[in-house]
Amino acid sequence: MALFLNLLAVTALCLPLRETMLRFVKQLEHRSRAAFVTAALLIVAAIGAVDYLTGYEMSFSVFYLLGVALAVWFVGKWFGALVSVLSVGVWLIGDFASGARFSSPLIPIWNALVLLTFYLVVVWLLANLRSLYRSLEIQVRQRTRALTEEIAERERLERELLEISEREQRRIGQDLHDSLCQHLTGATLAGQVLEEKLAALNLPVAADAGKIVELVEEGIDLSRKLAKGLYPVEMTADGLMLALEEYAATTSDLFKVACRFECDSPVLIHDPATAGHLYRIAQEAVGNAIKHGKARNIFIRLDASEEATALSVKDDGVGLPEPLPKNRGIGLRIMAHRSAMFGGIFNARREESGGTLVTCELHAEPGSKKTPP
Amino acid sequence: MNKSKTKIFLVDDHPLVREWLTNLIHQQPDFVVCGESEDAPHALQEISATKPDVAILDISLKHGSGIELIKNLKASQPGVAIIVLSMHDERLYAERALRAGARGYIMKRETAKKVITAIRQVLEGKIYMSESLAAIFAEKFVDGRLLASGSLVEQLSDRELETFQLLGKGYETRQVAEMMNVSMKTVQAHCAHIKEKLKLTNAAELLREAVRWQENYPTN
Repeated sequence: MALFLNLLAVTALCLPLRETMLRFVKQLEHRSRAAFVTAALLIVAAIGAVDYLTGYEMSFSVFYLLGVALAVWFVGKWFGALVSVLSVGVWLIGDFASGARFSSPLIPIWNALVLLTFYLVVVWLLANLRSLYRSLEIQVRQRTRALTEEIAERERLERELLEISEREQRRIGQDLHDSLCQHLTGATLAGQVLEEKLAALNLPVAADAGKIVELVEEGIDLSRKLAKGLYPVEMTADGLMLALEEYAATTSDLFKVACRFECDSPVLIHDPATAGHLYRIAQEAVGNAIKHGKARNIFIRLDASEEATALSVKDDGVGLPEPLPKNRGIGLRIMAHRSAMFGGIFNARREESGGTLVTCELHAEPGSKKTPP
Repeated sequence: MNKSKTKIFLVDDHPLVREWLTNLIHQQPDFVVCGESEDAPHALQEISATKPDVAILDISLKHGSGIELIKNLKASQPGVAIIVLSMHDERLYAERALRAGARGYIMKRETAKKVITAIRQVLEGKIYMSESLAAIFAEKFVDGRLLASGSLVEQLSDRELETFQLLGKGYETRQVAEMMNVSMKTVQAHCAHIKEKLKLTNAAELLREAVRWQENYPTN
């Protein structure tokens, strides 16, 4: 058990070391092959020299592996084999030169063959390891690319989905406004004609016809409100300002809070989709301020500076709870997601002075210098 | 016999509305619908041909805008009293329509009961609008905001007037700053002063007012 723990500790210690090694090797791989050929040969020569100087009694055979490994890893297995042969030769010559004597001439040959086999086995192992490592690396790269593409695709689809739902809502809203409301108007006119005809005949049911006209008129009101909910921002550049102004007024009436829209100088949003997202973000933030923040005063601001257009919603409520309960996170995440869809920077935080501040900043497009209509 | 009847012309892109509006108008013994149209160019042509007393028109038409049509009619047929009948919110469009030359504005929601009253009122030379719209105008009048057209604009400094005019031409704050060679902060300060001087409540209103000013007093 103790041994196992020790091993674990050693492995844990080795892991960062291994990381550093791998990084070092990776950096080395960018050097040219010629440099490695030279380096491998120099190492063999240097170790040969040391081998000769230290005498034949002391074997340095294992150190030649450094040159061999370098040759296999950075140049190739055939060069590795060549360096192996060369190393054995240098080692043999070094031993003879430093005065080694053998009882039989076959012994040095035998020793040399053993060493060469050992070197070649190492060469083979290293070459295999290297090709495995390379293919793994290629696989990782392919996977990463596939993953990146998938993420991009998913983001595109998400944006598309959001846009489709906005577009559909707008279409339904417009149809309600343009077709259904007009149709109902025709119906009220027809009802009015009927009422007047009945009244001309002195029939008391004329009042009933009048009642129908009123009911249909209420229907027109209802469908206009529905259309407004589905399609709050008109598709003109000043649509967002108008919509937020109206939203602030309706919110104040409906929820008995002071909701104000502030906008110092005109802020035009040319992309209807962006305007729609900004509106929905403001709507969500104001909704949160009333529902969760118990705010009394809410300020919706639209600002433009040289660099950015910014929407902010500030309230004097209880502020964002910390940490956020799970069910609240969703609304904030949707706002953040929406703003990411058009490249906005979203932020929601608890204000020092109390209350919550939600901001969405949109950097000015370089191409926004349009000529006016 | 038609000579003694009041002639009314209808411009609306929805056939059902035209059909029943005609029926409703024909309930009145002294009114007659002398023609109808669903787009602006055709309407302009027909109105000069039929010479109606009253034209009832929608703001959104198949081709062309109702507001433009009002202006064109005002120029070519000044004798025709124009009533706008629209699904659009009166708070946003009525002022523009009336300033363009219309004599009445009816929301489609209240057409059935009000259209005949509106026609009669306009024929008497009065302006017709709903009570709630009249209340809004009255409030604006008390605040002095309705006078913004002439005298108040004269109070603007040269730089403020330039800002006001550029905004009216459709330039954005960022572009106005660039064209006037000043910072956005300065333009925003100009805007604040303009709002104060013209007694406007917010930037959206400032923009509307600027555009309207530009329409009425075009500069280059």
